Amino acid sequence: MNTTARRARTAPDATTTSSGDSPDGREADDALLELREALVDDLDEGFAQLVRTHQAVAYAVALRTTGQRADAEDLVAESFLRAYRALRGYDTTRLRELQPRAWLLTIVVNTRRNQVRDAARRPRADGGELPERASTERSVEDRAQDGETSDELAAQLARLSEAQRTAVVLRHVVDLPIDEVAEVLGCPPGTAKSHVSRGLSRLRDLMTPPDGAHTAATSRSNP
Amino acid sequence: MNDTINNDTDDNTDDARSTALLDELASLASPPPAELAESLRDRLFDRWLSTESPLGPVLVAYTTRGVSFVRTSALVPGEQFLETHRRRFGRPLRRADSAPSGLVDALWGRPGAAPEVDLEGLSAFEHDVLAATRTIPLGETRPYAWVAREAGSPRAVRAAGSVLARNPVPLLVPCHRVVRSDGSPGQYLFGPETKQRLLSSEHARAHDL
Repeated sequence: MNTTARRARTAPDATTTSSGDSPDGREADDALLELREALVDDLDEGFAQLVRTHQAVAYAVALRTTGQRADAEDLVAESFLRAYRALRGYDTTRLRELQPRAWLLTIVVNTRRNQVRDAARRPRADGGELPERASTERSVEDRAQDGETSDELAAQLARLSEAQRTAVVLRHVVDLPIDEVAEVLGCPPGTAKSHVSRGLSRLRDLMTPPDGAHTAATSRSNP
Repeated sequence: MNDTINNDTDDNTDDARSTALLDELASLASPPPAELAESLRDRLFDRWLSTESPLGPVLVAYTTRGVSFVRTSALVPGEQFLETHRRRFGRPLRRADSAPSGLVDALWGRPGAAPEVDLEGLSAFEHDVLAATRTIPLGETRPYAWVAREAGSPRAVRAAGSVLARNPVPLLVPCHRVVRSDGSPGQYLFGPETKQRLLSSEHARAHDL
């Protein structure tokens, strides 16, 4: 694996602040080592550091998968608590090998999947009348129409398959390197890449206006 | 072969439309609301403090919903309290800046608004046993059978006793006021002598009032 390239993509700001050898990449590595040692040293203190470091990325992913701020915050809180409980069971070796960002985002993605699954099951368990729709059952698309998501793109994103949407969000919304996207999706990098590019091309199709420039260009080429 | 190229190419195409799409996607990563950090800290971390009580120094943990755990320093000192709490609740802790209002008075059995208790994670029966126990006034006692009846399971007298033996918030839920039907004090988290001493002092104070 090309670690230099990976590091550079992880820290996209490196080009603006550094020359030659990538000091930001080293800083990122130092921060990672420091976080792992903090977790080994005092789990609660280390966990506080994990929350501070990764809450923004966890929230961005949660917001793009739930479509609503309150749901995103609930999802992030729930995911961090699951993370904490998992960390309690890890020994020192495991903590020192932890890739916290990919690991945490995997928990966010899985927790969301469970929420959606549970919400889908709930009405059947209640029986009888249709329950009021819980916010977790409302699609991102519905909420975009209610003005709860920022724009059309967010709504179109919701029309992708789960794997494609997650891949596009991880790669292009929160700017993860493809190896980390693959780790979160639990698939080989090639497959992750293919989810991303299929997702992007679907998005392009969805975003092309019906009377768009394409039709004009095509018709012009026909004499 | 050309059919598959589209799927296998890198996603960073130079196409202007793609660049616009990628820019738009990147703009969806809006920064989290300013209050996220504080709200997460409050939701994730329970707080703990130590204070004085009729049982001697106690360690107290509380959540955003109320007091969740009280133990004497003698029984579970410092680090052990934190570890017991983590094992029992699966939540991280941070040291509190201040005590929840009414905590100290409630620990000493003084009149006034007692703080909320957080009994989340307990079963319905455990919850009902503790809720019934909480209504026993200062200077009075009730038998275990009364608690079981109040909790809606008159035959579960032993089970009610076991719930009280694990009371997460002693003093705030005065399990020491639950005694045997023959009037003898019975068991207590912190020992039968402590229970007898607490009851005597409460009895005396109730008479003074």
